[in-house]
Amino acid sequence: MRGKLNGRLVAAIVVALILAFIVNKNWGSASFFDSKNISTFLVVGIALGGIYAITAGGLVVTYATTGIFNFAHAAIGCFLAFVYWQLSHQYHVPLLLAMAITLLVVAPAIGILLDRVIMRRLRDASLVVQLMVTVGLMLTIMGLTLTIWSPKTSRTVPHFFESSKGVQIGSVTATWHRIITVVVALLVAVALRWLLYRTRLGISMRAVVDSRSLAGLVGAKPSVISGASWSLGCMTAGLAGILIAPETGLVVENLALIIIVAAAAAAIAQLKSIPMAFVGGLIIGLATAFSAVFLQFGKDYSYASEAIPCVILFIALLFLPQARLSTGKIRLTKRTERLTKPWEALLGAFAIVAIVGAWANGWIPWFTGTTFGQRSAIWLGRGAGFLVFGLVMISLIPLIGWAGQVSFANFAIAGIGALLFVHFGGGDGNPMGIVWVMLVCAPLGLLIALPALRLKGLYLALATMAFAEFTDKVIVRHPRLLDPSNSGVLYKPLKILGFSISSEATDRKAFVMFLVITFALLFLMLELLRRTRWARRWIAMSDSPAASATIGVNLTTSKMAVFMLSGAMAGFAGCMLGLQNGALRVDSFPMFAGLPIVLLLAVQGVRYPIAAFMGVLGLASFPAISELFGNPSWLTQLALIGPGIAAVAMAYRPEGAVFYTGRDVAGWLPWRQDARDEKKLLQAKEREQNIGKDEINDLGLTRPFTEDKVAQLDRVLAITDLVDEKKMVPGGAQ
Amino acid sequence: MTEPILSTQDIVVRFGVLQAVSHASIDVVEGRVTGLIGPNGAGKTTCFNVITGLQEPTSGKVFFNGRDITNKNPYKRARMGIARTFQKLEVFGSLSARENILVAAEQRKTWDRSGFDPNAVCNEMLEKVGLSDVSEFMVGTLPTGTARLVELARALALNPRVLLLDEPSSGLNEEETEEMASLLRTFVDEGLAVLLVEHDMSFVMGTCEYIHVLDFGTIIATGTPAEIQANPVVQSAYLGTETVEEAS
Repeated sequence: MRGKLNGRLVAAIVVALILAFIVNKNWGSASFFDSKNISTFLVVGIALGGIYAITAGGLVVTYATTGIFNFAHAAIGCFLAFVYWQLSHQYHVPLLLAMAITLLVVAPAIGILLDRVIMRRLRDASLVVQLMVTVGLMLTIMGLTLTIWSPKTSRTVPHFFESSKGVQIGSVTATWHRIITVVVALLVAVALRWLLYRTRLGISMRAVVDSRSLAGLVGAKPSVISGASWSLGCMTAGLAGILIAPETGLVVENLALIIIVAAAAAAIAQLKSIPMAFVGGLIIGLATAFSAVFLQFGKDYSYASEAIPCVILFIALLFLPQARLSTGKIRLTKRTERLTKPWEALLGAFAIVAIVGAWANGWIPWFTGTTFGQRSAIWLGRGAGFLVFGLVMISLIPLIGWAGQVSFANFAIAGIGALLFVHFGGGDGNPMGIVWVMLVCAPLGLLIALPALRLKGLYLALATMAFAEFTDKVIVRHPRLLDPSNSGVLYKPLKILGFSISSEATDRKAFVMFLVITFALLFLMLELLRRTRWARRWIAMSDSPAASATIGVNLTTSKMAVFMLSGAMAGFAGCMLGLQNGALRVDSFPMFAGLPIVLLLAVQGVRYPIAAFMGVLGLASFPAISELFGNPSWLTQLALIGPGIAAVAMAYRPEGAVFYTGRDVAGWLPWRQDARDEKKLLQAKEREQNIGKDEINDLGLTRPFTEDKVAQLDRVLAITDLVDEKKMVPGGAQ
Repeated sequence: MTEPILSTQDIVVRFGVLQAVSHASIDVVEGRVTGLIGPNGAGKTTCFNVITGLQEPTSGKVFFNGRDITNKNPYKRARMGIARTFQKLEVFGSLSARENILVAAEQRKTWDRSGFDPNAVCNEMLEKVGLSDVSEFMVGTLPTGTARLVELARALALNPRVLLLDEPSSGLNEEETEEMASLLRTFVDEGLAVLLVEHDMSFVMGTCEYIHVLDFGTIIATGTPAEIQANPVVQSAYLGTETVEEAS
């Protein structure tokens, strides 16, 4: 015990020293002892912290009661802020009424809809599926908002009582908006507390957190409760969105990014304590205001203040207690599949090259026309881009699919890899640079995961998302890495095996061919790796960490190995990303850009290497569909909404398209008699156990107990024969 | 009495105000089956978790082969020779039955330098527990009883010195339970030490040479099966007339 405490103390001192150093180095001109500065800092910080506290509190309430971390929380808030704007500024509904409609009608309606259609199905889903569905929901809602309210028009939400002067506190004026914000935050805190501790609904909500089945037995209605908590989540998200919109402007990305803030506060609250979520929100608000008032980041780190929530999230993760290896939580899916044989994998690799090769060389008639899908330089360039994203996808298969470590950071690693490649040889056309980049990106992948290795999987997802945001705001904006004034092509054409590879139009076909061949080789490598002890160990670790540990698996080093492999693969993808783009800008790697890649892979089935190729086709389908319809304005956000909706659909089809189609198609292959047999077996089993949950519930109430139903029930419950009385009493047989 | 290979001394585990295990001392001796029985919630599984390192004890010590292993990681304990099965299945559901066992055999390679072939060990174990026919099926598709055998084979593939079995007979029918008991016998005769948590009393009384009885986290009796059955404390606290708890 003592050793751990000391360890934490040391960590705290180290973090404090580093923070003190950063603060000292970037101290601006403002004096800390000026009462005006102090009160500005406090007034701004507390008001901002209040908003963050509201949204974080709501997020924690939903997580604690439903067990689902809602990545779409801030996006929902963003959507509701737009609804409020539409009501109050377009339809001229009085402000208070507009707010009431938004928060008391629209928000609960969204919450209940989400609960009914999506979230209830996620209750027993794996973490990977839960994350993909809510991230998908985030992108869908963002895309919808952008479609309904075009980002080309700028919109502002005025502060409350903007014309009034506000209240003088010390030497600063606190605007009414800020005062209202703080009061509302306090009210929300009190209301949440009251709701959870003093009302019947709240007490059942807390009971559900402890044990869903037990709470159900004593009369709490889990369905009502989950509906209520999703509504509550949406209401807090909306309230925060409306309050913060005057500060950030009605910009979808800005409002949706508040999820990082909420996640950081939730991490401080260890995902369960509502008071601590409020404290967390306040800390982040104060830190942001502190940096705004006192700090002046140098021009190398001009966006550093926007990364404050990410940094706070990382610090919070360092101080979280280690996750216990829990038992009794494994999920046994009835998946019938077998390992891909090496010759099948080889066939697959050839098929990938053949399909893309035929397309790139114009041998597929339909794609050689002049309009849709024409094999123009544009589409060849796009094709190269999709294949590069495919390389990022394939880097995720061992990590997410096998080891179960959900990372949203691989696109960011690829981005860093692209920039490093400029310096490591790509700028001179030296192919060895790729190797150096991979060698740097492997430990980089590990570094990101390090703070979350000992924690549960959800924190890793949060940490990687925060890292992606941090990369966008701090790392790639450093002029040493990417000179913002250089807008030209940063790479010389690469000469490999007679291919000349670059972003030049004349090189594009060669580039596509090179990419698809390396992609196919990586595919083959993964298929072969799946048959080795490494992959087996990772899958075992993901299926049951506790059992893996008790057969002698060192979970930490196993995880580290898979992060390094994935990081190196992402680094390779990064080199290709750089070459394919040619010129890079500081805003080339926003956090949101990496998400559709992960989602499209997950939708195809993240444990199967071929899913990465299907993901590439999925990526290609969106601009193709848009083009087919003649690029209408309502399809401009298809690249967000498409992957989003597909991922949300995973609530219904969690194993991924490759699995479902594979299961059906395998039976068609002449040499797969085993698949046909197994399908028959499964169908027979399903027929036998064909008793729905509703049926069980209603049995004896609205449905009669018939003999065959009882027999089915026994089979489902695995009651084999009558209870053997003798077995129950020790020595009863005497 | 021979020196125990595994022993716990005064183990206390507290969850908040609830004392799940209080001052439990358990000895496990090589070449014999030691039973750990008690009503539901008595703290048996918690004891297993403490021994295998999944649960940190509030106080008390665990000794293995004369060494204090209380602060050792679960995987290090496995490498020293402690293997276990779980009350609720902890199989690797997305691997085939063969791969489940192979993973353990390959893992053993990292510390066991005897130059064995993991594939051969895997086949041997499949043979021994009688799973050769279903070895290529994904464990998720197997019935619970069969999956339990996979877990047992996985533990045995580590060639452990101590094997902890948490209710191995649940999900098995009477015939399978008997097979399991005779299988255990052969391993114990080769010198394996077994600690067995079990509700099936005929199984316990038939296989165990020595029994610890746990009730509300406290060891209330230890002794041979005959002594336990005759013990009045056990009779009143555990057997009583109430058998309801057992049925679950």
